[in-house]
Amino acid sequence: MALCEAEKTFVLHGVEENFRIDGREREDYRPMELETNIVSHAFGSARLRLANTDVLVAVKIEVDVPYPERPREGKLEFFVDCSANATPDFEGRGGEDLAVEISNSLAGAYRSPEVFDLTKLCILKGRKCWKIFVDILLLECGGNLYDAVSIAVKAALWDTRIPLVKSVTVDGNNIDMEVSEELHDCQKLDVTGAPIMVTVCKIGEQCIVDPSAAEELCSVGALVISVSRNKFSTILQTGSGSLHPQTLLECLQTGHKVAQRLHDALIETLVDIKPSENSVGFLR
Amino acid sequence: MFTTKSFIKKNKVGNYLKHVREHYIRDDIACGLQECESCFPVESFLSPDHENKCALFEFNHYIILDTNVILDQMDILEESILGNVIILHTVLKEVKHRSLPMYKRLYNIIDNPSRHFYVFINDHHKGTYLQQKEAELVNDYNDRCIRAACSWYINHAPKCRFIFLTDDSANRAKALQENIQSLSVSDYITNLNNNSSLTDKLSRKDYHAKDAAKDVFPNHLTNVELLTGIREGRLLQGTFRASRDNFLEGFVSVDSYEDQIIVQGRAGLNRAVDGDTVALELFREDDWVCPSDIVLEDEGVEDENVDDVISKENELKRETKKKRGAKPTGRVVGIIRRKWRQYCGILQGGIDGVYQLFVPADKSIPKIRVETRQAEFLRTQKLIVTIDSWPKHSRYPHGHFVRALGKIGDQSTENEVILLEHDVPHSQFSEEVLACLPKMPWIITDDDVTKRVDLRHLDICSVDPPGCTDIDDALHCRPIDPEKLEVGVHIADVSHFIRPGTPLDREAASRATTVYLVNNRIDMVPELLSSNLCSLRGGEERFAFSCIWEMDHNANILNVRFHKSIIKSRKAMTYEEAQLIIDDKTKQDSVAESLRNLNKLAKIMKQRRLANGALVLASPEVKIQMDSETMEPLDVEVKKLFETNSMIEEFMLQANISVAEKILEVFPDCAMLRRHPVPPSLNFDPLVKAGRHLGFEIKVDSGKNLAKSLDEAIKKDNPYLNTMFRILATRCMLQAVYFASGAFQKEDYYHYGLAVPLYTHFTSPIRRYADIIVHRLLAVICGSDATYPDLLDKKKTTDLCQNLNYRNRMAQYAGRASIAFNTHLFFKGKLQDEEGYVLYVRKNALQILIPRYGLECTLFLARKGETSNIFEYNEEDQTQKAGDVVLHAFDPVVVRLTLDSNNIQHEKFVLQLVKPVVDNFSVPGIDQTDDNDKKRKSPEPDKKKRKKKKH
Repeated sequence: MALCEAEKTFVLHGVEENFRIDGREREDYRPMELETNIVSHAFGSARLRLANTDVLVAVKIEVDVPYPERPREGKLEFFVDCSANATPDFEGRGGEDLAVEISNSLAGAYRSPEVFDLTKLCILKGRKCWKIFVDILLLECGGNLYDAVSIAVKAALWDTRIPLVKSVTVDGNNIDMEVSEELHDCQKLDVTGAPIMVTVCKIGEQCIVDPSAAEELCSVGALVISVSRNKFSTILQTGSGSLHPQTLLECLQTGHKVAQRLHDALIETLVDIKPSENSVGFLR
Repeated sequence: MFTTKSFIKKNKVGNYLKHVREHYIRDDIACGLQECESCFPVESFLSPDHENKCALFEFNHYIILDTNVILDQMDILEESILGNVIILHTVLKEVKHRSLPMYKRLYNIIDNPSRHFYVFINDHHKGTYLQQKEAELVNDYNDRCIRAACSWYINHAPKCRFIFLTDDSANRAKALQENIQSLSVSDYITNLNNNSSLTDKLSRKDYHAKDAAKDVFPNHLTNVELLTGIREGRLLQGTFRASRDNFLEGFVSVDSYEDQIIVQGRAGLNRAVDGDTVALELFREDDWVCPSDIVLEDEGVEDENVDDVISKENELKRETKKKRGAKPTGRVVGIIRRKWRQYCGILQGGIDGVYQLFVPADKSIPKIRVETRQAEFLRTQKLIVTIDSWPKHSRYPHGHFVRALGKIGDQSTENEVILLEHDVPHSQFSEEVLACLPKMPWIITDDDVTKRVDLRHLDICSVDPPGCTDIDDALHCRPIDPEKLEVGVHIADVSHFIRPGTPLDREAASRATTVYLVNNRIDMVPELLSSNLCSLRGGEERFAFSCIWEMDHNANILNVRFHKSIIKSRKAMTYEEAQLIIDDKTKQDSVAESLRNLNKLAKIMKQRRLANGALVLASPEVKIQMDSETMEPLDVEVKKLFETNSMIEEFMLQANISVAEKILEVFPDCAMLRRHPVPPSLNFDPLVKAGRHLGFEIKVDSGKNLAKSLDEAIKKDNPYLNTMFRILATRCMLQAVYFASGAFQKEDYYHYGLAVPLYTHFTSPIRRYADIIVHRLLAVICGSDATYPDLLDKKKTTDLCQNLNYRNRMAQYAGRASIAFNTHLFFKGKLQDEEGYVLYVRKNALQILIPRYGLECTLFLARKGETSNIFEYNEEDQTQKAGDVVLHAFDPVVVRLTLDSNNIQHEKFVLQLVKPVVDNFSVPGIDQTDDNDKKRKSPEPDKKKRKKKKH
């Protein structure tokens, strides 16, 4: 996408007036559509559509050996795949840098034990643990990838069911695990602390959230703020511009406020999702 | 319409995957009732004409069964009294899941039209499909489905009546609540009008939901636990050896214990396989047992049921508890190192399905469970299988099929099996190895001539067994002055062709020895060397390593020298030919002269050696004559020995001794020598006892005394007696081994059998690698070759010795196994009376030696564990008495010999006594048998078969 100067000015003025090109105010999100449990082979999955941004997240679980330095913890890994369908820029290896950036920022945001309790994933201290692979597929890029991805990941982890370990026996060097075959025996993860990322975008003198693709082009810089339970877990600055300390503070406040609202809305929605007979979504 | 079923399952790698199965629900599944008009007609054996007459119901009815009824009351169902039975698909699946044999039996009934059974696919039927509820157990879900199907039938066909039979009282109660007429099987059967035959068959078992796979073995400890346990002395480390006769018994040799430690039973052995290094926990002394002498065979069954093992364990316990003389006993608690290899064997017959049991040829290895889809084909083959794992819930180790060797009983297959079982490297020589060979045509250059002593003018000749192509030794003898003779032993100079460090050298070192099978020779070096360039063939110029003595006429060595040489053998003779030349007084040429001189000297040398206490041992060695075309054994005969045999032997011994002295002198640390340890006196017990019973005192305190007592043990009426003693003595000996001189004390260099302080192998470099090393050492000494680091490394030489010793032992066993197999082949279908001698007298058997075939077999006097009512065993005198016939050790007997091929992996000879005649036991000789007798004899093999099983 390319904008000419006039278009950029138009966007800028809209932001100044608190009336953005699509009619939103500065702290408004575009409409979102969320589905969970849509990949039947995955242990948990979610699809989030944020206007034109479309993200599919699937969670896979494997048995692994804990890191020697953290024998009581399981593992969590993120992998982002930028489908070339999402934007022509992703063709070939074009999306790779972005994919690594997103997965790194997610890994950073989830690193703290307060954010996500990995000890729950330990099966046998130092010997066996669950390893969670969070596979993120970007289906369409319509701006604001971080926010969309973080919400989709949180929803997918909410949906994830960890198989129930019935018994663990140690036989020489072999560890025999007995795992319940039944799906409904599975345990859910606690994701209330899972961080929500809010991209606060500086356009002109103002900060906006959920920039559209056009708005992203007008921005001099953006701050990706991940918030977990009232606390900041990571903050990441993107873009080329620099931020005044005062602006930074304002951005943080905005981000914190918006993240709270987003979190509450998301949890409310997830609790409400019921398995429906007439399934919607694109994979069925 | 469809729904999905999801469940979690472990994959082969050990990860858990979510599986999703689509499950289709249909509205076109028929109920199978003939009376039904709404369903479209299907083939169904249900018939309104069949009547189930139960006193409780005055109406005819259909029966619906619960899973537990089928699992427990199959005997009743197989009686053709109950009919019009509807089997729900839910039930069928559950039966299949729980017990495959039951499923097969059930399916046989369902397939039989006269039984009027019908399978209703309730789980795909729109009206009877139920979704599993959250947190609902499978069992409850299945019960719910079954009840739903019952209700559906009742509503679907109001004209018919249905009875639901279940032994699960909870399910019954729920069914009654849902207005399904429901009964327990016993209630139903006892009220059946014609029940007489059925009530006996009722299984009274209360139904319990069985746990999933139960553990068959206790857990192993972890490595850390094992290591700390061993360090703290709570656990012992040792090598596990399984018993060949009893699959529930094994022994662990632990360094710190003199006796081997017994382990018994499933829990005691705990998945140890022969050869494994295990950790062991010793029991308190009260719990020690004595080794059992019963034979227990694992009658492998297809499923993982261990009931038969438990009963055998109990038998074993009874057997070992009651006696005194308990030995240290323990149990295996963990495996330190597995020694699993590939095993040869066959599939056990009579098992269907993809899981098959593999029976290794080696009886000390347990049966192995393998998965195969070509069982039909593999059953005719010898195959190789390897063990992958032995999980604790499995009765057998799990393995996989590696490859098939060929048809069972084929000679090439059996050769392959023998080679594999004895770990003989027998693949073709690689390109890399062959590249090290000299280019043909091979010519002797002037350079070679200057470096070597030219002995082409000497009258050298070789004497070998007939058909020998790898001739590695030749001799000459010539007078140099009236008092002195020059005697030369010329050994093929193999080390000239095999240079250290080349691929050829490495290959030869790994093979270590040439292996001789009856109709096959596995060369240590490629044929070009073994049969051509190194072979000292008659009339050809060859490189040799010569050992030349100057001797006086009394065979005293005055002088010895070693050097590399070029020789030209005048003639390659066989032992027989040489003997004829010596005996033929008309021959006066130089070859004949030197042979006579050599023979004369050899006799003196032998005399002297024997006087020094060298043992003359005997083991029955046989030669098998093969048909050159069909490769079938034509005859088995004991090898003939000539004077020339011992002549060659004497000079080879002398050459070896001279070389041993020389290399030890120059290389006191790294000379490769051969020692024969003095056997512990305990080993001689059987020999001494046997001697005492016959009135001979066998002295075993020194080799010299032993040799002397053996010489004196002669009885005029039994000329073979002395040989028997020597055979027994041979069995008391330990193996002679190679070693590096630095690794032992000087007094341990002693060679007991030959009664010499130093010995090595120098004379057969074509077929033994040790000789090549000795050649290299000697070449360094005479300045014709350079050393290399590995040659002088004590550690490296010791490692090499270990391999040589192992390969030699294996080669020897392989050779014996090959002879045994061919002897068996020769006797297949033959019935023969042979003369033999009693070797040992046992409680229920006689060990018989048949010298003509070099066979040792067992003549059973009674079944195992029983005492004969004909024979009376006298432990004191070691005799068996029947009437006025008394059988001592070493007595001559005549026995009838047949081959028992019931166990195709372990064919064995069966003996029957012919002479002396014992009433009701011995059989008449073949010569006396007339036609009538033969007819009577015909059912005999059956009798033998039965007898054999009991043993």
